[in-house]
Amino acid sequence: MSHTEAIRARARQLLEEKQVSCVIGYEVGPRGRTRPTFIYAPDQIDRLVWNSACTHNLTRYLPGRLKVGKPGEPPPRVAVVVKPCDSRAIHVLLAESQFGREQVHVIGVACEGIMDARSDGGQAELQARCRRCRERMPVLADDVIGEAPSLPAELDPDEDLARLEAMTAAERTEFWLAQFDRCIRCYACRQACPMCNCPICLFERDDSLWVGIGIRLNEKRAFHLGRAYHLAGRCIGCDECERVCPMHIPIGLLNRHLAAEVNRAFGFQAGVAPVLGPLVTVLRDGEVHP
Amino acid sequence: MSIEPGPEAFEPRLLGFLCTWCSYTGADLAGTARLMVPSNLRAVRVPCSGRVPPELILKAFDNGADGVLVLGCHIGECHYDNGNHRAAKRVPTLQSLLAFAGLEPERLRLDWVSASEGERFARIVSEFTEAVRRLGPCHWRWAAMQPEESHLESAGGRR
Repeated sequence: MSHTEAIRARARQLLEEKQVSCVIGYEVGPRGRTRPTFIYAPDQIDRLVWNSACTHNLTRYLPGRLKVGKPGEPPPRVAVVVKPCDSRAIHVLLAESQFGREQVHVIGVACEGIMDARSDGGQAELQARCRRCRERMPVLADDVIGEAPSLPAELDPDEDLARLEAMTAAERTEFWLAQFDRCIRCYACRQACPMCNCPICLFERDDSLWVGIGIRLNEKRAFHLGRAYHLAGRCIGCDECERVCPMHIPIGLLNRHLAAEVNRAFGFQAGVAPVLGPLVTVLRDGEVHP
Repeated sequence: MSIEPGPEAFEPRLLGFLCTWCSYTGADLAGTARLMVPSNLRAVRVPCSGRVPPELILKAFDNGADGVLVLGCHIGECHYDNGNHRAAKRVPTLQSLLAFAGLEPERLRLDWVSASEGERFARIVSEFTEAVRRLGPCHWRWAAMQPEESHLESAGGRR
């Protein structure tokens, strides 16, 4: 049975037994592109697919969909199709009490990596994040679809990160200002991020005293550094922010740097277990401070 | 006569976030004890070092600070129990991020000064001022200025 058939069979059962109100999965749109979809009725099940272009992180929809209603109403419950990287996001969201574990049915899929269609029409190739990825089975799932795939013998090193860390301070300033200069503050990076779920974003408040909402370069830099900082110890590395950026700003680099830093300083990797990130908890024995 | 001051005349502009329960009182003690403290530090009194979010520090650098000093109570002595625990985690993380974005990490410093440590306060501020003076003017703000903006700034007197 293919992954697509397995996902459909499981979704059909969940919807027919009314265990969930909705299944969040992937479908192929009219122009042949794979996109997120929401299935509410069993007769719609055949829209669900699984293929190597299922790049979206569907956990982005969970906090909004799972808001608890009035007292007395049963809490909403949905099913979601996740890749191993996405499943880490559910751990972070659970640790931050965005919803209850019983509210979500996780259909985890063993992942062989996601392909990027080449803009020049050439052969699709594995996404850079997948070439670096070691986790090919979901860390959290109610159903697991597929067997653990074999990993490539050698994973790609993070060359971009290493190249940037080897630069001098002045070169890095120049590099990042050239990148941030292109930013149009469309907030696509924020909208695509499963962890960016503040009801009112600090960077979009016009009464905010400390962060500008304009498009001057220093305000754009403050936005990007602030956004990355707010994800320190929370970013699970799905790289959706970088994928959706219309200006191709490598913001994933900031996230990867901070993830490495949090791992170095606190020995913590976000989403491996449902525990809060170290930046919002108190110092424990052995944690360093000046 | 040159308008731009030479490197030997460079006086860093430092911003200090001082916890009102300890470091601010410690600074007061340094004053009443007539200790020499460099006048480069502009002190901002905050309720706790845990009240200093990264946005404030970024704002300080964006507004042209050459260095930012965050001073709080020693670990275990926080008036709010664990506010300084948060500072102890946030500031080094932010420091690492700012360094990755091109700011010299020495320009941001977190340290602990209790209310009775006037001497320690004077020593930390002197050390920090000297460290930033050696680094020279901070380019963080000016590098992100559009050409027309920096022209206006220099016409209005940079320092």
